[in-house]
Amino acid sequence: MPTMDYEELQPIHPEPTSFWRKYVFSLDHKMIARQFLWAGLLFLLVGGTLAMMIRWQWAFPGRPVPVIGPLFLSDQGGTIGPATYMTVFTMHGLIMIFFAITPILIGAFGNYCIPLMIGARDMAFPTLNMLSFWTFAVSLVLVICSFFGQLGAAGAGWTTYPPLSTNIGTPGSGQTFMVAAIFVTGVSTIMGGINYVTTVIRHRAPGMTYMRMPLTVWGLWLTAVLNVLFVPVLGSAALLLFLDRVFGTQFFIAGAAAVRGGGDPILFQHLFWIFGHPEVYILILPAWGIVSDILSFFSRKPANWYRGSVYAMCAVTILSAVVYGHHMFMTGMNPLLGQGFMLLTLIISIPAEILFLNWLRTIWQGSIRTDPPMLFALGMVFVFGMGGLTGLYLGATATDIYLHDTMFVVGHFHLTMAAASFMGSLAAIYFWFPKMFGRRMNESLSKVHFWWTVVFMTLLFTGQLIAGYAGQNRRLADPYEYNFIRHLLPLNRYTSYSAFILMAGQFVFVWNFIHSMFAGARAEMNPWQVGTLEWTIPSPPPHHNYDVIPTVLRGPHEFADPLVRERLGRDWIGQAEPLLEQTPGTSAPTAAAGRA
Amino acid sequence: MSTAVASVLKYRPRRSAADATAWLGMVVFLASWTMLFAALFAVYAVLRVRAPAWPPPDLPRLPLLLPGANTLAIVASGIALQSALHFSRTGRVARVLPAAVAALVLGAIFLAGQSALWVGLWREGLRPEGGPFPSVFYGLTAFHALHVLVGLFGLAFVVLRASRASYGPTRHLGLRLWCGYWHFVGVIWLLLYVTIFVL
Repeated sequence: MPTMDYEELQPIHPEPTSFWRKYVFSLDHKMIARQFLWAGLLFLLVGGTLAMMIRWQWAFPGRPVPVIGPLFLSDQGGTIGPATYMTVFTMHGLIMIFFAITPILIGAFGNYCIPLMIGARDMAFPTLNMLSFWTFAVSLVLVICSFFGQLGAAGAGWTTYPPLSTNIGTPGSGQTFMVAAIFVTGVSTIMGGINYVTTVIRHRAPGMTYMRMPLTVWGLWLTAVLNVLFVPVLGSAALLLFLDRVFGTQFFIAGAAAVRGGGDPILFQHLFWIFGHPEVYILILPAWGIVSDILSFFSRKPANWYRGSVYAMCAVTILSAVVYGHHMFMTGMNPLLGQGFMLLTLIISIPAEILFLNWLRTIWQGSIRTDPPMLFALGMVFVFGMGGLTGLYLGATATDIYLHDTMFVVGHFHLTMAAASFMGSLAAIYFWFPKMFGRRMNESLSKVHFWWTVVFMTLLFTGQLIAGYAGQNRRLADPYEYNFIRHLLPLNRYTSYSAFILMAGQFVFVWNFIHSMFAGARAEMNPWQVGTLEWTIPSPPPHHNYDVIPTVLRGPHEFADPLVRERLGRDWIGQAEPLLEQTPGTSAPTAAAGRA
Repeated sequence: MSTAVASVLKYRPRRSAADATAWLGMVVFLASWTMLFAALFAVYAVLRVRAPAWPPPDLPRLPLLLPGANTLAIVASGIALQSALHFSRTGRVARVLPAAVAALVLGAIFLAGQSALWVGLWREGLRPEGGPFPSVFYGLTAFHALHVLVGLFGLAFVVLRASRASYGPTRHLGLRLWCGYWHFVGVIWLLLYVTIFVL
């Protein structure tokens, strides 16, 4: 399309005045982002509490759980029995992945950052955006129903493998509710994904070429592409499992009758991991993008090899679709096929390594500012590095066969999906909090929170790695029933202490977040002195974001430019800020290049 | 390209930017749903390859005639809706409503035919719990029928708009979007007919 009237495409709508339209059924991407953030943080707390129950069980198996035991487990004398233990780790995994990290990183920051950072007034489809949140809310209701389901909550593991997840393995309604919740939250995710993909393609401000987009937007956009293409595959698996459970079909139930054949439990694993491997990148790509930007912003240097980071993220997005078999080395897969998947899996570490080296070279010799977002970004780089390196052991079949189904796997994916995504989420929260709520968070408390989190999170997840390397299987209600694991009790106990201290430290954040929202110092327009578009408008932004849609002249990380320092006396320049004697939109060289 | 088509394309009014955005959203949605149905067809393929006999000899055979008639109904419905869009684009506004009504009625006939098919097979003893073959048959056709049902609501909306003469050469976004959706549902049915009934 040669010319497009940006103002006509995105007219300014009047701000809604009624309470319902403003706070509940809001069409404003910034309000929907906050709704997702609140929902995600709330379920992060629920998921975290469940994690503490797991750790309690492994530190003190069979001993009554303090506080939670008398409240929720009084019929079992406050202890966690094997059946309850199954539901606890299942719900922990599902809640953390689908109802905590996904809404925070993708629901909240996808919604908040994409329109603001590309210079749009809202998402392409605001109504769809609202429906996306309320569909997500329906899935949250299903999750809560699952807790009160007959025979307890879902208990077939977060992977929900049949036959354990069929009526034979988990006959309770809690599992059915959870399968339905996965389907419904998938629909919500796809709605959001359609919106993000379309918005980035169609609503970029004039001059905001793909290669001028902040890396945050790149990460979120590629995530949306993966969501749109692979969440439906999970949807199909959840749908068929739901049919098996409710309508008695036999897609995944291995056959009884000789003539008719039977369903195939392994088929579910294929469907699950065709989605599941892109999913781990869905959870990390937004964090990669956010961290890439923040490292540049707080090193006061342009991001090293911006295009390389973009290409690396694109390569990971594509490769993530063809490596899923490494989750299934132990399912009787043909060894030749296993080798193929191993090769592809190890190849994916090359773009990841490019991205990682770009981060290191971005901060190399930078004028590093240790503000809280930067600390969390550095923390993310650290834990992601460990998570990535331990992944190599699991991608290679020779070591995976030994480490399969041990706590080493748990430690690995917690370092990447939990620690790195969580650190990325926190970096994003600390970074955009001033823009979101118009106030600053307390810096000292933020730094306390960082050091507390990074130290105990590392201890916690390396404890898991060591236990797994020593041979401890995952998902055991009482691992010490086995002689060869018994000597790991002290290690597990120290790991659990780290977990409890880590959890306690999060209340520093809860207090800081809520207190700052109402009583923090007022934030100015651009507290971090960076050049992306969202920092050129008031904090919090007005309903329509931009009075005039900006014309973008340059990339997002223009730091330490001698010419800028000479003319403007500062080390940064806005993406839409004219530097030479030029006005936006005229035929000056940079503006013309942006439109080409 | 024939000259008739070329002349229509040449004089087609320019689409607004907002319409182009909405259409892109529809394309992304259909790409997503293609993955969903691709996964379901993959399930069908795996279960069929694994089965010792397909269809199992002790189960009632699927008819070809009734679903064949259904195929004609949904294809005709798609053509009717496409011509409604064509009439709207070329300014023959009075013909939009009859074409849209025809599409809606043919779609409803399809759904009625599907219901008759299910009821008949159920009475003959084909039950979802009878193994992978009936599972695939009921699961895939029912999930497809749900999409037809959604499409019928969409077509009803289109008919309502057409009865108020809301469509014209430049104003037919809703019609165009539902047309895309309806063709998608039709193509999925063609694939289902070939894979489940014919092959």
